[in-house]
Amino acid sequence: MTMGTGRPMIEVEDLHKHFGKLHVLRGIDLSVATGEVVCVIGPSGSGKSTLLRCINHLESPESGRVRIDGRLAYRDEDGGVFKAHSNRAIAAVRAQVGMVFQHFNLFPHLTVMGNLIEAPIHVLRQPRAAARQSAMELLVMVGLADKADSYPEELSGGQQQRAAIARALAMDPKAMLFDEVTSALDPELVAEVLAVMRRLASQGMTMLVVTHEMSFARQVASRVVFMDHGRIVEEASPEQIFGAPREPRTRDFLRTVLER
Amino acid sequence: MFELFNPQVAVANIGPLLGGLLITVELTFVVIALSLIFALFVALAGMSRITPLRWVVKCYVEVIRGTPLLLQLIYVYYVLPSLGVRLDPFSAGVLALTLNYSAYISEVYRGGIQAISRGQHDAAAALGMTNALAMRRIILPQAIRIVLPTLGNYFISLFKDTALASAVSIQELVYTAQVRAALSYQYFTLYTVVAVMYFAVSFPAARLVGYLERVTRAGYRRRRP
Repeated sequence: MTMGTGRPMIEVEDLHKHFGKLHVLRGIDLSVATGEVVCVIGPSGSGKSTLLRCINHLESPESGRVRIDGRLAYRDEDGGVFKAHSNRAIAAVRAQVGMVFQHFNLFPHLTVMGNLIEAPIHVLRQPRAAARQSAMELLVMVGLADKADSYPEELSGGQQQRAAIARALAMDPKAMLFDEVTSALDPELVAEVLAVMRRLASQGMTMLVVTHEMSFARQVASRVVFMDHGRIVEEASPEQIFGAPREPRTRDFLRTVLER
Repeated sequence: MFELFNPQVAVANIGPLLGGLLITVELTFVVIALSLIFALFVALAGMSRITPLRWVVKCYVEVIRGTPLLLQLIYVYYVLPSLGVRLDPFSAGVLALTLNYSAYISEVYRGGIQAISRGQHDAAAALGMTNALAMRRIILPQAIRIVLPTLGNYFISLFKDTALASAVSIQELVYTAQVRAALSYQYFTLYTVVAVMYFAVSFPAARLVGYLERVTRAGYRRRRP
């Protein structure tokens, strides 16, 4: 379990998001310090994934602020009126934050190696040889060194997800967002992906993890956030959330998921 | 049968007819090359965030689809000169066919681009790619592979549609046959040879497209020794 150094890496302030009439995020405030692993749990439809997608500006919230490494990201605000940054500026912030998706979203037309070096070469302008070398080191770390020349659809789900984690790490991100990354996996493949994430957490990576894996949250998180109906209901250490949750809604939710 | 088909006439005309076939093939390839590129710009403009640009594209595509190709050829060759644009027959044919096929092919491209899942866009964006870079490196390579067989079928039908260019006196295969037939009255022989020539090109091409279809359906895999 890694503790943060205190300097906030991801800060979210009063975030609101609607999908049509549905108020998905109802004023989210959250801060993730450098080196911290924050797990977000909660029933489906509680807005967890939308929160992650807003932090990467894959969704744009109607109001609220996102700061990455202390800097206001994606748009400026002037008296409640938002002005979006240029596409290039938005992309530059996203390049600093890695994201891993539920459905992997590897690029099927590229090999595993191609997936890893694509953005370092074309976004970070790294020389190909250097990009390949660091990609190979990452593939060794996630246990896929022998799959560098395979195409994604030749891999198992667990292998694909480990490749996707390596792809995000290849950008040398300041923080990583994990969006239910084990939910689409067969049960026997979940462990290998969680093992990579544990390793990453122990290396001090700043991580915001939306997950249904309660044992992972209990063992790895520095802090657990429980969300319901677009709000953060409770935020505490894993010991407290899983041992003595304050809020009745947290208790109800944990009872249902842990009794399975 | 043998009274109708005169082998001597066929042999005597084979040279000029092959010359016509060459023009047909040339016209086809020039239009393929131009419309592959032009249609991509049309497709991207049609999906642009700039509303007037989308309207222009929409109008262009609908006008082309709502009028006959033969009319478009005639229009470019006979009407444009009165607006001060005078083109030789071949250029007029290239222009009209390119405008026509680009409208259809842009829709094919659009379908292919829209077939790429949201997740691919998300993943590219999350890696810090701009829309333009994601389009060029991630979306288009997958989309083009999807539409390859459809494009092949369009180009086979383009090969046959170039026959309409005879209406603006391009000396392609049908035009050559018409001129020869008018001189010799050997309609059966000449047009049968022409039909065989078209078939001899489009049938193998169709088989090639069938092969492409199988390859693209097989997905992305490592070639093993």
